[in-house]
Amino acid sequence: MTDAVDLTAYSFDGTTSWQRVPEAVVFPTTSEQVSEILKLATAQRIPVTPRGAGSNLSGGSVPVSGGIVLCTARMNKILKIDADSFTVTTEVGVVLNDLNRELAQHNLFFPPDPQSFLAATIGGCVSENAGGPYAVKYGVFKHYLLGMTAVLPAGAIVKLGGYTMKNVTGYDLPQLLCGSEGTLAVITQVTLRVLTLPAAHQTVIAIFDKIVTSGLAVHRVLTAGILPAKIEMMDNWVIRRIEETSHMGLPLGAGAVLLFEIDGMPAAVEIETEGVINCCRQAGAIEVRAARDANEATNFWTGRRAGFSAVYGASPTVFAEDITVPINRIADLIDRVQDIAKNYNLTIVIIGHAGDGNLHPSILTDKNNAEHYGRAERAANEIFAAALEYGGAISGEHGIGLEKKRFLKQAMQPEAIDLLRGIKKVFDPSGILNPGKIWEDK
Amino acid sequence: MTQNPSVDDAGKCMKCGFCMYNCPIYKIDHIESHVARGRNILIRQAGDNSIPNDADYAERLSYCLLCGRCEAICPAKVPSPDINIAARTNLVNQKGLSLPKRVVYQGILKNRKLMANLLSMAAWVPGVSTSDGTPLRHMADFTAVFSKGLALPRLSRPFLASRLPTKTLPPPGIKTKGQVAFFPGCAFEFFFADIGEDIVAVLARAGYEVVYVRDLTCCGLAVRSAGDVKTARLMAAHNIEKLASFDHIITGCATCGSALKDYSKWFSDDDPRQSVARIFSAKVYDFSEFLVKEGIPAQNVQAVTVTYHDPCHMKWHQGISSQPREILRSIKGVKYVEMEGADDCCGLGGAFTLAHRDISLAIQDKKMQNIKNSSAQIVVTSCPGCLIQLRDGVRRNKLPVQVMHISELIRGQIEPHQKPLSTGDEAEQ
Repeated sequence: MTDAVDLTAYSFDGTTSWQRVPEAVVFPTTSEQVSEILKLATAQRIPVTPRGAGSNLSGGSVPVSGGIVLCTARMNKILKIDADSFTVTTEVGVVLNDLNRELAQHNLFFPPDPQSFLAATIGGCVSENAGGPYAVKYGVFKHYLLGMTAVLPAGAIVKLGGYTMKNVTGYDLPQLLCGSEGTLAVITQVTLRVLTLPAAHQTVIAIFDKIVTSGLAVHRVLTAGILPAKIEMMDNWVIRRIEETSHMGLPLGAGAVLLFEIDGMPAAVEIETEGVINCCRQAGAIEVRAARDANEATNFWTGRRAGFSAVYGASPTVFAEDITVPINRIADLIDRVQDIAKNYNLTIVIIGHAGDGNLHPSILTDKNNAEHYGRAERAANEIFAAALEYGGAISGEHGIGLEKKRFLKQAMQPEAIDLLRGIKKVFDPSGILNPGKIWEDK
Repeated sequence: MTQNPSVDDAGKCMKCGFCMYNCPIYKIDHIESHVARGRNILIRQAGDNSIPNDADYAERLSYCLLCGRCEAICPAKVPSPDINIAARTNLVNQKGLSLPKRVVYQGILKNRKLMANLLSMAAWVPGVSTSDGTPLRHMADFTAVFSKGLALPRLSRPFLASRLPTKTLPPPGIKTKGQVAFFPGCAFEFFFADIGEDIVAVLARAGYEVVYVRDLTCCGLAVRSAGDVKTARLMAAHNIEKLASFDHIITGCATCGSALKDYSKWFSDDDPRQSVARIFSAKVYDFSEFLVKEGIPAQNVQAVTVTYHDPCHMKWHQGISSQPREILRSIKGVKYVEMEGADDCCGLGGAFTLAHRDISLAIQDKKMQNIKNSSAQIVVTSCPGCLIQLRDGVRRNKLPVQVMHISELIRGQIEPHQKPLSTGDEAEQ
């Protein structure tokens, strides 16, 4: 595909700050075709940017150096669901939600649930090592990656890893490619571990007067030995947006809402639900209760998603940060973010996966208002610094890409960044794969 | 007052890509410029002239069924179909319409008498119409030559105007509950006049005096979708005026219904006709919506397995999906089965099917597979466009399935001896 209009549609991803039109877009359907493309690109020194659905939030699939966009969307066949050994082997262009729909036919599911699951492809998720609300109990993509087929920049098609949960055979290369943001090889097939669908679910909603108290409640639940599948947090700003659109009956003055999902065997779910409710009460929740039925539970989770969308629609530019801290520092981090918002006179919405320490403080700003934007940037820098100070990470699930590469130096030692560069050289000596991402040029 | 959508709304897209999950076209070709997210980017960039407003751009805008699924799934509720229409309108305003489109939209569709005269003349051409109810063998294949292979319906003879009195009264013994106006649209007026009669007969059986208003025009949806908003507004204003005195306006066509209910969106916010249109739209009901609200006439049919296809203009534009099913389940003798992907598009999309026949057929193929797997004997739907596409698919795939408008089945059971179930597959008989 080389028509200018079509190429424009491949010049962006899910972020707002980066755009570059590629020279061509290719849609391979086999590993062999990917190999031919990469051989040609290596020979001609043409940059190749792999792309699945382009729903990522890091700038990772924006072809900042031009060249070829290699779109995997048409490699979309699920190759084998092995219900007896709890694995699925699939091409990488399959959309995450489609995979789970197929797995459900076999009473199976694939737990990691980036909230872009209606768009995101498996290949993109593996490359970004994506995760979502389920991470509390079930972890993220890397915890389910058993093996893969990948094409190296010089054109070799390699099978890495295997089909078993335990596998210590040399360096763990699938894990190295997982989260490598398309800079080392083009993944074409993966084998993933899958689980049996839980027999029962329950949703608990807890309302707090202060956002900090909700952070304490999360800590109390986890230390009580209960491991909910999801613990999601929304602040007052989001509560008000949800009430505007879907009228869930949340008190408009509430400081924060926690949504818990507890899943497992029915008897265990019942006991754990009670435990969660008690912990929230003890932590000082104003109100806490289980969803009356599946319908109400669905409404709660729909509201949570609508709240997240509202953040993105609320201002021309949104810095959707993705910091993560150790669980016991959540309350500190929230405190700090609120101070930063006050100091810079900004609206910073806090929403996130409270159960795993991954928060998305979203700074509402406008790229075209230089003064405001400048304040937002300074606030973002302070939030990153705070996350690192508390022993956290600058990205929990979105990846570094372009958005966070200027912060990498603060998060990693120079020697460690040199290791990244060295690994890149081994895989991709001519530097054609997704150039310009993750670290800054020296 | 809410602003009507314009190209500026493309800026509200946050590029999450959920529209890709629902887009019938993207699911086939996986091309970003053919789905709402990519198209919204193009529309934004055309707006600030960072890409040219040329024929290539116009062609990308045509890759859209205007089915509304993208808007339904969009977390930010970006009105992408209306944004596309606004972009097409800008192109028409800049460059004008092609001559054939000008003739069809501004001349023929707008002028109901001229359309009737032209089509009456065409009806005399051998094989173009079903003069005595027994269509010519292979006629579908014959007309298909002119429509890139799509089997078009024959013209009705005579048209609905000559079949219906101004007022159709409830049959003797049935108490009159009230009066409704029937909006036939082009399809039931000229191509499926039998179905037009069925709809009116069932409404009468339900206890309504049905008024056939003589000089209505086309609903205007196809004209607006092509970007000729000016002409579409004239058509809307005409229909609103002619139907202003009625409290209930019933359509049997999903497309006309979605248009009539949306008329207020067609006028700009400073246009006084907008508030008039809003009052009008509140009185418009789809046939099945009205029957479920007012009471479905209970009847029996011979044992038959039936499934329902959701027209996009019914489910995604009007939010009507339970009512037709409720009606079908209420009919004694009907075994209702739900097919997989019942609300997947049929692939017609009005002019889309002629512009992009290969994609249209790929979408149709999926539908046919689902119909086949459902093992239904009859597929019922509520849209003449879907009827055309589904009958075409049934014919191409040689499926032993009848495709019917919902009113045909209700009337078929009401008067089983007078009117045999019509078949979607005359050419194969």
